[in-house]
Amino acid sequence: MTSESVREIRPSVPIWRQWNLISNFGRRDLKAKFNGTLLGWAWSLVVPLATLAIYTLVFSIVFRMVPPPMGNGKDGIFVVWLFCGLVLWSYFSSCVNGGMGALLGSGPLLQKIYFPAYAPVLGAGLAVGIQSLIELGILAIVLVVLLNVSWTWLLIPLVLALFVIFTASVATIVSVMNVYYRDLAHLVSVALQLLFYLTPIIYNPDIVPLSWNGIPLRAIVEFSPLSQFVELFRAAIYDLTTGDLSTWISVTIWTVVALAGAMFVMKRRGGDLSEAL
Amino acid sequence: MTDIAIKVGHLSKTFRLQTERRNSIKEMFVRGKSRGVHDFHALRDVSFEVPRGSTFGLVGHNGSGKSTLLKILAGVYRPSAGQVLVDGRVSALLELGAGFHGELTGRENIYLNGAILGLSKKQIDRSMDQIIDFAGIGEFIDSPVKVYSSGMYVRLGFSVAVTLDPEILIVDEIIAVGDEEFQRKCFDHLFELRRRGTTIVLVTHSLTLAAELCDQGIWLDHGRPRALGDVSDVIDGYLLDVNAKESAARAEADAAAGGEPGDVGDEVAVPIPRQGSGEIRMTKVTLHDASGAEVGFVTPGEECTVRVHYRSTRSLEDVTFGLAFIHESGITVAGPNSMQDDRRYDIEPGEGFVDFYSEALPLQPGAFNISTAIVDKGHTYDYSDRETELRVRADHAVREPGLTRMLGRWSAEPSLPVEGKA
Repeated sequence: MTSESVREIRPSVPIWRQWNLISNFGRRDLKAKFNGTLLGWAWSLVVPLATLAIYTLVFSIVFRMVPPPMGNGKDGIFVVWLFCGLVLWSYFSSCVNGGMGALLGSGPLLQKIYFPAYAPVLGAGLAVGIQSLIELGILAIVLVVLLNVSWTWLLIPLVLALFVIFTASVATIVSVMNVYYRDLAHLVSVALQLLFYLTPIIYNPDIVPLSWNGIPLRAIVEFSPLSQFVELFRAAIYDLTTGDLSTWISVTIWTVVALAGAMFVMKRRGGDLSEAL
Repeated sequence: MTDIAIKVGHLSKTFRLQTERRNSIKEMFVRGKSRGVHDFHALRDVSFEVPRGSTFGLVGHNGSGKSTLLKILAGVYRPSAGQVLVDGRVSALLELGAGFHGELTGRENIYLNGAILGLSKKQIDRSMDQIIDFAGIGEFIDSPVKVYSSGMYVRLGFSVAVTLDPEILIVDEIIAVGDEEFQRKCFDHLFELRRRGTTIVLVTHSLTLAAELCDQGIWLDHGRPRALGDVSDVIDGYLLDVNAKESAARAEADAAAGGEPGDVGDEVAVPIPRQGSGEIRMTKVTLHDASGAEVGFVTPGEECTVRVHYRSTRSLEDVTFGLAFIHESGITVAGPNSMQDDRRYDIEPGEGFVDFYSEALPLQPGAFNISTAIVDKGHTYDYSDRETELRVRADHAVREPGLTRMLGRWSAEPSLPVEGKA
């Protein structure tokens, strides 16, 4: 046994060297999702666009929600403004749900071969991410057609990078804990619903009362990390502003905290999943 | 010091068993003492080393901890205590095609499985043709695996695992897959891997295979190592133990059966109706080893005595005893008869026995039955049809096929053809 090659059974491969495994899981999820369907890949566009149409119908036409004006000074268009928020939201919720499903689905495999538990979770996130990128592309095209473009778009990759790390971390934490406490799946579906309405996606945060029965509603909405991400993303892509520095700092802290939490959960609970699955 | 590929030191594994699954949030808050929880020690203080390039076998009865040990070697479970170190890339074959997804094609699944085994795309590309070739599933490689037959499925799984050039291969009971042709291919490949210097750890219930393939082995008994070292010693020890246990169990069962029935008039009463006039009946048949001790089974090539006990209600003259050894498949392997030795017995009323002695039992391991006959020149007193079981057990793995061992000798050296004849 030569001293440098000796190691514990489980290879401690850093996460960036796991790309091949993660991308293969992602490819599996995508293929499995659309194989056997008549429209195939078209579904990845039909579903978000249909959601968009429904929300627009309900909130723009029925509830007469007025969107803020665009960054180029023209009147706001609700469907575009909504789309900006909805892209991020659908990525977040699909990642969390997809991650839980992917890890549980990998159960039989994890009992046969060792691989890091985050791999199927991130793979599911990758599959969702590709669909989100397509949505994002459509959004960008629409905004270009509307001539609502500025240098602030250069900030988009930065906010998205932070958002992806944040989302992947939350998905990992929830997915791993869900293996031990299966109640979590039910809890998460309720929490996601609450979070959806807590985040200003379909409404403008300005309409939230500052305080209601002594509860600081506006502060709660603005404190939510998802609200802050949506705010920054909309600022860069729709309002064509840089966003508040305090919000940038805040989302960075949220991301670091989530990432640290994910690493802690992986270290403490990620190793013995094969016995709990 | 030889080069070590796997080093296991004081390895223990404990599972927390719960009679009722309590994986709920409630449990987080209600930290009450659960009655159903107890610890199960699957492995206790196991230590061994596997030299590089050798093949290591794990033997033991069901539930002895073999699979747990294998899973720890594969990295699926973590040790509760102790240490496992490896030197080289481990490929585990705990289940063939475990990572396959039905909607993906064979080719896509090869990429996925390769990635799970920790390979890069380049490495997989390099082995792709070899894998497809080895699996031998032809054009199906580009069809979704959900349409595969179960045989094709495992063939592809096996091909992926063994063709991706593992340095250390962990194999669990892969023997019973595929058709005869593919099984041979698997074995050939395992031997080939061994020749090339791959370290193999193997679990199998086929002791013959273990003896053939392995260099060293360990025998686990309820999670504790019972023997470690040269594989034939380990297997011999294991077999002796299994045999001793079976012997004890049979003796117990025989004792429980007990109780002699009384005689009716001229006839000796027996529990099972028999042919023959019944003035004399076989009461039981016992087996004895070289020392004369009664045994529950016999061993090929060893001294052995088949003792036919009888009870007679009157004096009889010129009685002949006969035996028939019948394999469970129905084939009569041999039928020694006391007439051959010109033995005719004069029987007194009451009990007694006659012995059939073999210097070296020519039967191979298996389940046989003994029929007995007590006759006198064409008149049958008693005939029992396969009432006695005869178990032949080896204390080492027997590689020779067949029901009996043919006595003979092989020439010492090969000879050239004789001139003018060949």
